[in-house]
Amino acid sequence: MSFEEFQNCARLYVIGALEPKELQEFEAARKQYGSAAEDFINECHSLHEAFALSLKPAKASTAIKDRLMSMVGERNKNQSGSDPT
Amino acid sequence: MSSAVDPSLHAAASNLAVQTSAKPIAGAVELEPGVPSDVDLMLGIQSGDAEALSELYDRYNGVVKALILRIIHDETGADDLLQEVFMEIWNQAKNFSAQKGKPLGWMVTLTRRRAIDALRKRQAYARAEGRLQAEPEQQPLAWVQNVTENAIRARDTRVLMAKVINSLPEAQQRVIELAFFQGMSQREIASNTNIPLGTVKTRLELGLKKIYDGLRELKDEL
Repeated sequence: MSFEEFQNCARLYVIGALEPKELQEFEAARKQYGSAAEDFINECHSLHEAFALSLKPAKASTAIKDRLMSMVGERNKNQSGSDPT
Repeated sequence: MSSAVDPSLHAAASNLAVQTSAKPIAGAVELEPGVPSDVDLMLGIQSGDAEALSELYDRYNGVVKALILRIIHDETGADDLLQEVFMEIWNQAKNFSAQKGKPLGWMVTLTRRRAIDALRKRQAYARAEGRLQAEPEQQPLAWVQNVTENAIRARDTRVLMAKVINSLPEAQQRVIELAFFQGMSQREIASNTNIPLGTVKTRLELGLKKIYDGLRELKDEL
């Protein structure tokens, strides 16, 4: 697989769109190209941000954050309670 | 350019590239001096600082919920999932590494996976009930419709992203929509759209490359 073909596959890979056989070939090429491959894959994750940021932000219920922070507080309390230090 | 896209959005997007001088492309939120960065917040969460999670939530709950809604199309379910996603961010923060990417990218990956899982469970349930109509048939070009809202404002980061995405031919947008927002494999897309597998692959590759190149160009412009 050429590096250009690898790049095409990497863009599909980050959105989970590679077929199983393609994934095997992609992983082999990934090893072959080493750090250049990893750097490119990391760059491709910007595609994720682009898709999310192209959407109009949605308003969440205020109760959600209250519930979330309450759960986190409970968890912290439990963890500090079970921490022998 | 797709005819389904609001021309005013394109005009706004074109102007934006000229008007903005230092706006980050994928940095999501422009921060005042002294305000902790996304990475600072993730480091805080890693060390168990609930206030950091609270701030990250305030910063990104709108984006995260929009992504969830875009995938599952259910307001109540989206709120529940939003809470689960931020709880997972709290629990999984130790797996985040700033060397491997930005916090938002990590959060989007996590959110998308959770939302697609939820969507698949719902679809499986609906199939069992015999009530499912194929999602692509229910929501044709829903992504295109979403980014054509008149409410989109010119200086929004969203417009920059929409500019890149809307520059794709509709056929390419459609397959990317199914792959990214519905989590479909190439074979599933081919089967659902009656498009040959090779064509699906080509459209995905070309579309993603254009978006990727477009983002790089926008970065260079700014």
